[in-house]
Amino acid sequence: MKRHQLLKVEGLSLRFGGLQVLNDLSLSVREGQIVGLIGPNGAGKTSCFNCLTGIYQPQGGRVFFDGKDVSHLPTHRRARRGIARTWQNLGVIDSLTVTENVMLAQYQRAGYSAMAGMLGLAGTWHRERELRRDAAEIVEYFGLEAVADERTGELPYGVRKTCDMAMALATDPKLLMLDEPASGLSPEEALTLGATLRELRDRLRLTILMIEHHVPLVAEVCDYVYVLNFGKLLTEGEPEAIQRHPEVIAAYLGGAAAEADEPDDDTVTLPAASEPPKWPLTAEGGSHGTA
Amino acid sequence: MATATMTFARVKVQRRFGLLLRVTIIVALLALASLPLVLGGDVWAQRISRAAIYAIIGLSINTLTGHAGQISLGHQAFVGIGAFTAAFAATRIGLPLGFGLAAGALAGMATAAIVGMVALRVTGLYLALVTLAFGLTAETTIFNWREFTGGGAGAFAPRPEILSGDRAFALLCLGVLALVLYADWRLVSTKAGRALAAVRNDERIASTLGINTTGYKLAAFSLSGLAAGLAGGLFAHWNQIVQAMDFEFQVALVWVLMTVVGGLRSRLGVVLASAFFALLPLTLPNFLAGLPWQPPFLNEAVYHVLPPFIVVVMLLVVLRFFPGGLGQLLRPATRWLTKGGKR
Repeated sequence: MKRHQLLKVEGLSLRFGGLQVLNDLSLSVREGQIVGLIGPNGAGKTSCFNCLTGIYQPQGGRVFFDGKDVSHLPTHRRARRGIARTWQNLGVIDSLTVTENVMLAQYQRAGYSAMAGMLGLAGTWHRERELRRDAAEIVEYFGLEAVADERTGELPYGVRKTCDMAMALATDPKLLMLDEPASGLSPEEALTLGATLRELRDRLRLTILMIEHHVPLVAEVCDYVYVLNFGKLLTEGEPEAIQRHPEVIAAYLGGAAAEADEPDDDTVTLPAASEPPKWPLTAEGGSHGTA
Repeated sequence: MATATMTFARVKVQRRFGLLLRVTIIVALLALASLPLVLGGDVWAQRISRAAIYAIIGLSINTLTGHAGQISLGHQAFVGIGAFTAAFAATRIGLPLGFGLAAGALAGMATAAIVGMVALRVTGLYLALVTLAFGLTAETTIFNWREFTGGGAGAFAPRPEILSGDRAFALLCLGVLALVLYADWRLVSTKAGRALAAVRNDERIASTLGINTTGYKLAAFSLSGLAAGLAGGLFAHWNQIVQAMDFEFQVALVWVLMTVVGGLRSRLGVVLASAFFALLPLTLPNFLAGLPWQPPFLNEAVYHVLPPFIVVVMLLVVLRFFPGGLGQLLRPATRWLTKGGKR
């Protein structure tokens, strides 16, 4: 039996003035899949994410989530249906501590109204304690206990990135959209991240759609890959097939590489169009330096 | 082993002693603060009422500017409408004071909500201009609506028998201030506070977390207007007469400045700075005129224009040296008083 389509995008078109950012883009993500969205810089991957979450209003196309048309819903309503995302330039609020950021992400399941909280009604105190306890658990899972009470603005990039991921998960999503989760990681850390993602998928019954440049990670973890170039879908398929696809190699390396030899198994990786900075990501409970 | 136990015991004793010390200091400070009310007679009772009303206005602006990151230069309109509504309810309709205050608060909230709906479409400088324009327009239109405000003569807002004494009225103002402080505390300690922090910092992030950013900005405007209208109602009964000239643009500017000087998002800072700015024009001229030696070229008329000048100087000092305002300066002390040594 085919698993049902959690996310379905039909004919998405986005223009900024004269620039066609997305051109008739269609893709679908089935429940429980980890789907990759790759492509050179400027291919429109992040713009696609922004259309899916409702931050950009595309000129054409429709987005279905969990069988329902969400094309005209504002961002927060889509988020409430179970779409969570991380950000390339990090979705943490710098003036809050790590714990507070996670509690912020728990917004949808606070279980009391903002008004009740303001009036200090009895139930809200109790719920706040529960939320704090849940947040502490999430913080611990991501190995952030040492910096739990630090403001995120004062923390190094890798820790903030982990916090961003923790926040996305704290919203208790059905679909997790990751914008370059491996940027700033060493190759080994990136592969560890792959294991983490699969564990999260299995434990939390998540579906993951991720933008990623790091091709070994994509090949390792993704069930299906969409390749974007100049806002158009270049090709799609299983990661093994994609890696050998001549057009993909051409898109990444330019025309000259199109006639390059068939790549050997795992030694050849498609280089990212820009080299990401090397910062440690401590997704697996390492030390943080600035505790 | 023995040493460890002893050390542990000592730490425990110290901690208990520290708690006692802190509670004593807080009680002593509160007692000190209430001295003017107890000993100062009606003059000081009047001044304390004014300080409490200003503090409520400061917290109202803090809700909008500090929590939601929006700005309003038209707060005199919200406070003024609250004041005129309360006066209207008291004299024309004959409602009891509590209902009048509630009506004033609701009127301020409705006005702020309407301004908020317009203002949501603009940000930053343009928002400042929209609120400024609204405030100035309200001054010349609503406040000159003779049937509602009594025109130039003003509207009377007599106090009921039980609150006719200045000390009783000061207690009412302090009680309302306490309620507003409590609401502000709970607001920032629960989900709405975190949501507002997100809206203030990055609306896109906030919205992807399921937060209705438009709703929160509008709610911040409405809440701010509610507190402003409430303060306006208290002001009406404090002065017992409301006139349009009480709500000119200059006071709105002073209110915004006092909130910034007090420190956005610092309840204590805002309350202290508001009280200071409320009392400065009342006390400083008399104080200076009463000094035994008068500097040349200065007289009482000059002393009366001094407070706005001091306000501006304080603003410059704060912006340059402590952007967090008075609250930032006091933070080490308040942290120790509330939490002890640990952060």
